[in-house]
Amino acid sequence: MTELSQIDLQSLAAGHKRTWDAFVVAASPLINAVVRRTLANYRLSDDDVMDAAQDVFVRLCANGFRLLKTYDPARAGLSTWLAVVSRSAAIDFARRRRQATSPIDDVPESALAVEDRHVEKLKIPEGLLTERQTLILKCLYDDERDVAEVAQLLKIDAQTVRSTHHKALLRLREHFKEEAP
Amino acid sequence: MSTERTPPSERELWQSLATAPAVAPAAVSDMDFAAWLEGRLPEAAAAQVEAAVANDPAMRRAALELADILGMPLPAPPPRLAVRAQALVGFEAEKQAPRKSWLAGLFPAFGQGFGLHRGAMAGMAVVVAAVGFVLGGGLGETYAESKYASTAAPTIPKPFGRDTINDLNDLFSDNT
Repeated sequence: MTELSQIDLQSLAAGHKRTWDAFVVAASPLINAVVRRTLANYRLSDDDVMDAAQDVFVRLCANGFRLLKTYDPARAGLSTWLAVVSRSAAIDFARRRRQATSPIDDVPESALAVEDRHVEKLKIPEGLLTERQTLILKCLYDDERDVAEVAQLLKIDAQTVRSTHHKALLRLREHFKEEAP
Repeated sequence: MSTERTPPSERELWQSLATAPAVAPAAVSDMDFAAWLEGRLPEAAAAQVEAAVANDPAMRRAALELADILGMPLPAPPPRLAVRAQALVGFEAEKQAPRKSWLAGLFPAFGQGFGLHRGAMAGMAVVVAAVGFVLGGGLGETYAESKYASTAAPTIPKPFGRDTINDLNDLFSDNT
């Protein structure tokens, strides 16, 4: 079986049937997995999920392979780009069909909490935390992800996530300690 | 009595803070998002994507799920998926092909060399017609000759009555 990395992109974008067939075989497992995972919280039938995966292929070859031609191999691997495109297409598909529903146990507590409008939150000043520090704190606290997941996302080791988290909290404590009367 | 407040837990501290930026980060293209997921973006560009991801729960969820999927073995898809997807391009190619005549549809094997075949068949037909014309002309002459010979001694039908009278006269004159 041909790997995605072995696909001749020029031939694919030119619409050569043989290359397209090889591409479909190589890309189907990834597209299927991404679409299924993305639509897991939408109450869609198996046929609908299959249609959503098919929709990804339709998008890729529509209008003379216009979407496929936007892929730049110098910037990212084909698998990663396809995964991103598949997820976007699946969400569009689901929006056209039904609303998303999540089991209540899967939703982080922070998302369910009713905000007390009378409590004024302190604003984090611009530039106090780096974008990466903010992202790590949001993943850990808002999304309730564990350190290993964040490390996998950012392609860094778990210890670096812990240390970035620690430094971010120190900065916050320092800043708001100074501000407190 | 100590006046030192107990420091809030890390989570409480975070949740007591407003983290939304004053200006919403710029939208991130699929290509940039993919490059960021692979850690291929330069620091400044990566920071822009990280700001957008940090600010958007849906993007964070997408990033975490995609990072997970891309790092694990993938299950086999239903075979029907590939069959249907492969048909997409074949169908398009067929639509773009020029329309064939009904005859070509009946004899698809003729395909590209059909024009040559047609020319050769037409030439053969002309030869056959010429030979037929020559042969047909000869037969015509023979027919004309035989017709001429038959008209040289015509057998004119005699009117009823006169023949009979003449024949009787001949009979009687012979007897006399």
